[in-house]
Amino acid sequence: MAKKIRILIAKPGLDGHETGAKLVARVLRDAGMEVIYTGPRQTPEMIVQAAIQEDVDMIGLSILSGAHKEFASRVFDLMKEKGVERTPVVMGGIIPQEDIPALKELGVKEVFGPGTSTRAIVERIRKEYEKTL
Amino acid sequence: MKRETKGKRRSPSAPAGQRAKEKRGDSEVVKAYREWEEGVVKERLSPGGESKPQFRVYTGIQKEETQKEFLTGGGEIAVKRLYTPLDLASTDPLQDIGFPGQFPYTRGRDPVGFRAFQWPLSFYSGYGSSESANERYRDLCAAGSNNISLAIDLPTQNGYDSDHPMARGEVGKVGVALCTLPDMERVFSGMPLDRIHTGTVGNCIGPWVVAMFSALGERFELDPAKMKLMIQNDPIKEYTGRGTYIFPPRVAIDLASDVVEYIRKYLPAWEPQYNCSTTMRWGGCSTSQEVGFGVANLMAYVEAAQRKGIAPADFVPWINLHMTADNDLFEEVAKFRAVRRLWARVAKERLKTEDPRVLALRLTVFTGAHRLTAQEPLNNIVRTTVHVLASILGGVEHVVTPAHDEALALPTFESTRLGQITKIILQEENLVGQTVDPLGGSYFVESLTNQLEEKAREVYQKIEDLGGAGSALEKGYYLREMAEGMYRYQREVESGQRTVIGVNKHVVEKEVPIKLFTGDPEAEKRQVERLNKVRKERNSSRVEKALAEIRKVAESKAAGRNGNIVPAMIEAVKAHASVGEIFGILREIFGEYKPPTII
Repeated sequence: MAKKIRILIAKPGLDGHETGAKLVARVLRDAGMEVIYTGPRQTPEMIVQAAIQEDVDMIGLSILSGAHKEFASRVFDLMKEKGVERTPVVMGGIIPQEDIPALKELGVKEVFGPGTSTRAIVERIRKEYEKTL
Repeated sequence: MKRETKGKRRSPSAPAGQRAKEKRGDSEVVKAYREWEEGVVKERLSPGGESKPQFRVYTGIQKEETQKEFLTGGGEIAVKRLYTPLDLASTDPLQDIGFPGQFPYTRGRDPVGFRAFQWPLSFYSGYGSSESANERYRDLCAAGSNNISLAIDLPTQNGYDSDHPMARGEVGKVGVALCTLPDMERVFSGMPLDRIHTGTVGNCIGPWVVAMFSALGERFELDPAKMKLMIQNDPIKEYTGRGTYIFPPRVAIDLASDVVEYIRKYLPAWEPQYNCSTTMRWGGCSTSQEVGFGVANLMAYVEAAQRKGIAPADFVPWINLHMTADNDLFEEVAKFRAVRRLWARVAKERLKTEDPRVLALRLTVFTGAHRLTAQEPLNNIVRTTVHVLASILGGVEHVVTPAHDEALALPTFESTRLGQITKIILQEENLVGQTVDPLGGSYFVESLTNQLEEKAREVYQKIEDLGGAGSALEKGYYLREMAEGMYRYQREVESGQRTVIGVNKHVVEKEVPIKLFTGDPEAEKRQVERLNKVRKERNSSRVEKALAEIRKVAESKAAGRNGNIVPAMIEAVKAHASVGEIFGILREIFGEYKPPTII
């Protein structure tokens, strides 16, 4: 049997709208992944630290406050600093179309907008994981 | 006897007044209902029924009903093919339905409803820096708004200064950053504060918000008691929805009741609280839970205020329950009717009062932003219109609409205005609201009202059994129910059992370009510079003294003694102590809330 994908679902920043993050966490768990959910109010430092400690295969960031660019760039800077920049990062939340190219430029593998089906999220995450093997 | 009544039914040409005078027994209606089911319904649904001349239409007709089971939008109630007088057999037209403005307020709180009511224009706003918010407020006032809602950024709402590590990247993002009193002065500079109605959220920072507005009034040489401020001051919602909690729930409820006490004693024109079950519904709870949670939360606050010596009659008339309007038009109308009735009945029993000021519940609706889609945003205009319609038909007092492009990002001025205009069109062009409670007496709506009230009462009872709202919150009851509901909803959408146009039906593969508001990227830097300047220029010994007083009051409260934090906050704010300094002390004394992980 294939190894279970370990994924960290994290909510950077002060925004506490965690419905989406929790839903995705549950769906991924139901799809057979090991999910570590950080809860809200995480600094980029806390997120990268948790990713290292939990030895995750992937990181998912949920951001609805509009601070996605700031958080993504700080998470990537820290990942580089700690030498874990190969861990794929995906994002979800309320993120304007026009900001997606810049996020992908930073290294975000995929941005899941409102209304994305959970099936599509599971498939995309599996695909991204397979690329790391 | 039997033959006689049968004969009467066969003479439909008798004048309506005469027919109404004849009291029919239920058994006769049962019989007629059965005949209808066995007759035309069966005929229509039998093979080939759809092509019989009396049923045939040109397009759209289906052989069978489109679903095996029809459910309300909330998914808790099965919807029958038809509702008849039989569904209201045990509903008393006086005790259960009654009249508007009278117990149990099913038909509304105002005896004349929208006949003596004009929708005001109001806008939730306040972006980025204090200057840009000020500019926008002046625009809004010029555009005819007398109602300003102040959106505060997340660091401030969490009691952090703009230069706190947790604030990085979020200063001025979802609202304006307010660290010290000079920030407030800039936001409201030149605004006629004694003539406009200002509202803000400020749930876990309620006492500080009151202090800021009160000190602002003094700076503008206004008597704060002459200003009109409405403050949400509802920490419970933060543990279940938005997540800007700071302290453990019981501490937060106590601090909220400090606000209630202070406002009711010294600022009687201000509105000290509005309780919100909106975000709980948005987070996945059911329709009856939205009602039950709302009533239970309200009761927790009423009792917290009572402990401070504020009687329900001095509190309830100034508050209102904030709900949402979801997609199912009739269920939502019934919900607004049911929540008024349940509150009236529960409050009457529990608070042992007949006082209409306590029993008549005021309702505000923030329409269903959670049902707006990023796909085909123009469809959201239709959705919001129906949400507003449900609110008006349900007889609520205040409606706030999201912008149709909100699912994608923060709304623009034009899209916000469109949502506001919807209410006015419905009232003044579509003439909704010319009669009070137009759906009252509808077999269907009355039946839904009854069922929702009954289910919501069970929810309320469950919370009481868990020890009340504060305790149910700590035990994770709300969060568990919401997570379950959200998961179920998502599965229904993905299986196609629940239609969401543009998402799982009639999908158009096309990007819709929308103009989006972008925050001011320089706001954070400017705000931090300003904060440092204030820190340098203020009288530091006055600040120290004021902060020491806050510590003293908080320690006394933590030790279980009575006390009100608001006066000490006012002095601290006037001394230009920052939000982060003030809440830093409170965090130290009261501790911070750590949410249970429920997914």
